[in-house]
Amino acid sequence: MPAIQAKGLERRFKGDIKAVDGIDLAIEPGEIYGFLGPNGAGKTTTVRMLVTLLMPTGGQALVAGHDVAKDPSAVRRNIGVALQEAALDPLMTGNELMLLQATLQGMSSKLAKERSVELIERVGLSEAADRRVGGYSGGMKRRLDLAMALVHGPSVLFLDEPTTGLDPSSRFQLWQEVSRLRTEGTTVFLTTQYLEEADQLADRVGIIADGKIVAEGTPDELKRESGASHLEINLAEGCDPSTAHQALAKIGAPEPAAEQRDVRVRLTDENAGVADAVRLLDDAGIMVEEIELVRPSLDDVFMEKTGRHLEGSGD
Amino acid sequence: MKGAQVVPALARRALNEILRVPGAAIPGVLAPTVFMLGISAVFGNVTQLPGFNGLDDYLAFVLPVGLLQGAGFTGAATGVNLARDIEQGWFDRLLLAPVSRPLLLAGLISSASLRALIPTTTLVAVGLLFGVKFPGIVELLIAASLVMLLAACTACWGTIIALKFKTQQAAPLMQIGSFVAVLFTAAYAPKQMLQPWLKGVATVNPVNYVLTGVRQGFIGNVTWADTWPAYLAAFALLTVLASFAIRGLMRMGR
Amino acid sequence: MISATLALASRALTVALRRPQYLMPMLVFPSLLLAVNSGGLSQAQNLPGFPPVPSFFDFQIPAAISQSLLLGGVGTGIAVALELELGFFERLVAAPIPRSSIVLGRLLAAAAIAAVQVTWFLGLGMIFGHGVADGFIGALAVYAIGCTAAVGFAGIGLTLAFRAGNASSVQGIFPLVFVVLFLSSAFFPVDLLTSPVNEIARWNPLSYIATGMRAPIIGYGGTKAFLEGLAAAAGVAIFFGVLATHALHRRLRMG
Repeated sequence: MPAIQAKGLERRFKGDIKAVDGIDLAIEPGEIYGFLGPNGAGKTTTVRMLVTLLMPTGGQALVAGHDVAKDPSAVRRNIGVALQEAALDPLMTGNELMLLQATLQGMSSKLAKERSVELIERVGLSEAADRRVGGYSGGMKRRLDLAMALVHGPSVLFLDEPTTGLDPSSRFQLWQEVSRLRTEGTTVFLTTQYLEEADQLADRVGIIADGKIVAEGTPDELKRESGASHLEINLAEGCDPSTAHQALAKIGAPEPAAEQRDVRVRLTDENAGVADAVRLLDDAGIMVEEIELVRPSLDDVFMEKTGRHLEGSGD
Repeated sequence: MKGAQVVPALARRALNEILRVPGAAIPGVLAPTVFMLGISAVFGNVTQLPGFNGLDDYLAFVLPVGLLQGAGFTGAATGVNLARDIEQGWFDRLLLAPVSRPLLLAGLISSASLRALIPTTTLVAVGLLFGVKFPGIVELLIAASLVMLLAACTACWGTIIALKFKTQQAAPLMQIGSFVAVLFTAAYAPKQMLQPWLKGVATVNPVNYVLTGVRQGFIGNVTWADTWPAYLAAFALLTVLASFAIRGLMRMGR
Repeated sequence: MISATLALASRALTVALRRPQYLMPMLVFPSLLLAVNSGGLSQAQNLPGFPPVPSFFDFQIPAAISQSLLLGGVGTGIAVALELELGFFERLVAAPIPRSSIVLGRLLAAAAIAAVQVTWFLGLGMIFGHGVADGFIGALAVYAIGCTAAVGFAGIGLTLAFRAGNASSVQGIFPLVFVVLFLSSAFFPVDLLTSPVNEIARWNPLSYIATGMRAPIIGYGGTKAFLEGLAAAAGVAIFFGVLATHALHRRLRMG
């Protein structure tokens, strides 16, 4: 059975605004699923429904085998959640927060202490554990939040934009932690507005826009779907672009580019690459000044599906 | 079994603010103290009126009002803190825990009951300093337990408002509830001296019975007849408000 | 300078009226206290030495007005402190307007809000009490003292805001409002206050402000009480208006 399953999940708010408009999900145990979309697309609303903080107004969702609407406490027992704000009481120390979270999860105090020490060490906060959270950096807070979400050994972990607002090195540290979860078999549902994050971490990616899932698949599948790679070629002076077009027709569909001396080739042959192009052009007596293979990014996928660029895609 | 751990854990967290932020408890203590001393200084001479039956210490008469106000402020503070927790996302963490909603509420309000002991202790000390006669240990215990119960009630009220509006801006609503409940009673004068409309309100206001129960030891002897209605009223009020608060908790996210 | 002052005053007024959560507590809390004070202690007017009044409720109306105006002063302070915190204030300071306009605009807005407050409580007096004993002229007298005093109370709020620079510090003086009230004869005749409050109250300008507004309402105390009240209100207004202007200059000097 999937770890997370949703059928026609829907949430309307006042004024009949559909924040989430009938989405289907089937996420296998142990999978890291990246939920990608811009602000306001419905990512957080979806997460809040899956973690029982918000009641769906339509459809159904099972998390860890339990219905989020009918048996929320069973869901709560089996999931770990790190929400966007990383809400942590600034007056409490890291250790105290870990123990409180463990108590809330119904763990015995002996087990709670063991797990706290272990997880705090794992996220690299041992030295700061007895300091008040108010003095932590953004990255430290997120790592503590992650440790708290893991305290009871949940089978499904929800991370809502875990690295938004973090500097690159803190972001990288958090990515490493999430990657480690993969080896432990934890299912991770990760929302993000960063393409690179989804690309790096996720086994599978779902793209949400305006409350609907517009594309889903492995990052590679999606990129392939959005079109093949293309070559950007800059010809040497005096070379005839039309000769180049003829020569390159064997491996792809040449398109005129912005400059007269430039050639753009959409590769139809997946295995063809820079070497083939150079050989073909050389055979035709054409000199190349510069050549680049451009692979499609998730942003291209996003652009194709929604007609917009994703925020944060520049990162 | 699990509640045995969860409730104190939540209460401890709520008490953190008082223990770790220097001065956080001061406003909740200062306001009822100023009010109590002010009212007794300004209106002290009304004890010359025949309705007071020879009671000459007006401060002893209004000290219990101050105690209940202290409970009211404490409850409102609980509501404001909850609203802040909701605004900042901390409350999501509690809602996500597999803890039954009544236990969550118990955690929130038990901290208010404990916190209410801070203004209670201060006000009694100030009262004694200004010449109020020591009421006796049993009398004080009855008063303190009733104040704690009322603090739990006002904390439920604060919780209801916080869950409804989800913003700290609703603070005046939280305060006004207990303000009205505590003062629309025989706060300033024995019930038979009140104007008819206020007498009517005091008769149906459960807090008036709590006030009578708290006050008896300070102005005379504790009697069974003044004690049981106080506890009955406090528990009844707590039951009603707690059930509304639990309903509010259950409805979060709908 | 006049146009800048008026523009700032009308802005402050608009903002205040658009945020009922600021204005409402100023009216609601004193109204509730008015109800319980008068409902609980109405027999106090039978005490020997109590001035002749239509009712204890009418006697308490100036107390409610004074309380409301004092709360308004704190409210002005909080509003300005918030502007300081949020940086809006710098925009004002950067504008080519005289600095005193910033203070005067606020004070003027406070006077206008005070008119609303006085109207509210005189209205309650008409409905639940006996109205203003000295009639229309008497009501004007109440407005005159009330609006002048409100300028002074707003000056207190501004001084605190300019000094402290943050809203929570200004908010912290709320209990002080009640200290000032309880140390005056706003709630009870000065001769019937307990000692030593009665002695302090004789020195508290609020005693004269409240008594001055009370005289036309209960028709007892005459022109002397009114003039004393107006003088006290004007004194407070000038004193704290100047202090607020000083505090502003000090803040601007210190950057």
